[in-house]
Amino acid sequence: MAASGSWKSGSGSSMGLERMSVEQLKAVKEQADLEVNLLQDSLSNIRTATTRLEIASSALNDLSLRPQGNHILVPLTASLYVPATLHDSQHVLVDVGTGYFIEKTMPEGKDYCDRKINLLKSNFDQLVEVASKKKNVADEAGVILQAKLKQLASSS
Amino acid sequence: MNRRRSELRNAMSSSNLRDLQRELENKANDLSKLQKEIAKNHQMRKKYTVQLGENELVLKELDLLKDDANVYKLIGPVLVKQDLAEANANVRKRIEYISAELKRLDATVQDLEEKQNSKKDTILKLQQRIQSFQAGKGKA
Repeated sequence: MAASGSWKSGSGSSMGLERMSVEQLKAVKEQADLEVNLLQDSLSNIRTATTRLEIASSALNDLSLRPQGNHILVPLTASLYVPATLHDSQHVLVDVGTGYFIEKTMPEGKDYCDRKINLLKSNFDQLVEVASKKKNVADEAGVILQAKLKQLASSS
Repeated sequence: MNRRRSELRNAMSSSNLRDLQRELENKANDLSKLQKEIAKNHQMRKKYTVQLGENELVLKELDLLKDDANVYKLIGPVLVKQDLAEANANVRKRIEYISAELKRLDATVQDLEEKQNSKKDTILKLQQRIQSFQAGKGKA
């Protein structure tokens, strides 16, 4: 039932595109391509953020296994590390955004990372759906545009 | 005599046409200014929307905390300990401010878009007048 509904809406949109002039089709295709590119950028940003959170989560996991007083090297810059000892391996400061940091226990920190990862993944899935629909519109407009241009060329 | 009259008529019509074209040019410039203004407003709206989303996420996190939780605020390079209630109030106030700004921007954009539409209509009418003028001139 749902499939037939979506098929109908798809055919309706293509009927709308069929009626458009070459100029209008070009504009529709350009707009759709632009939106697809923006969505692709957003998707890559979400991917990057998810990777960063996964790295943070694994770092927390690694840190929780180390005993207090363990010797570590702390990066001050990308190429400068200073030796230090681990004072507390059970509490972490979490940057929650807009300049606020919250002190959390290790499990709470992991929970925070997991929640954020899940949120990003759900956003990612929604965006993928929207992007694929937009891409279909762009492709459809491109196909119809090509057909119309061929038709114009053959008639002239 | 008739030739003199037709020359006068031609001179008047060409000056009228010039006036119309000048007016069209001015209106087109106004329209492009409006479009730039709208684009700028959209950009600002985007920025505020991002900030609002971030603040709402922070508020959600603060709401999950117990009363004895340690909250710090980054001020310059220093982390300063802050009371949870104070942090909560600050974030709520910021959300209120951003929401108000977004409402104001929405109203501004709507107003600008209405102006843009009326300008487009005016330009369209001017173009039609110029075309009919030129068509009339061609017949003459």
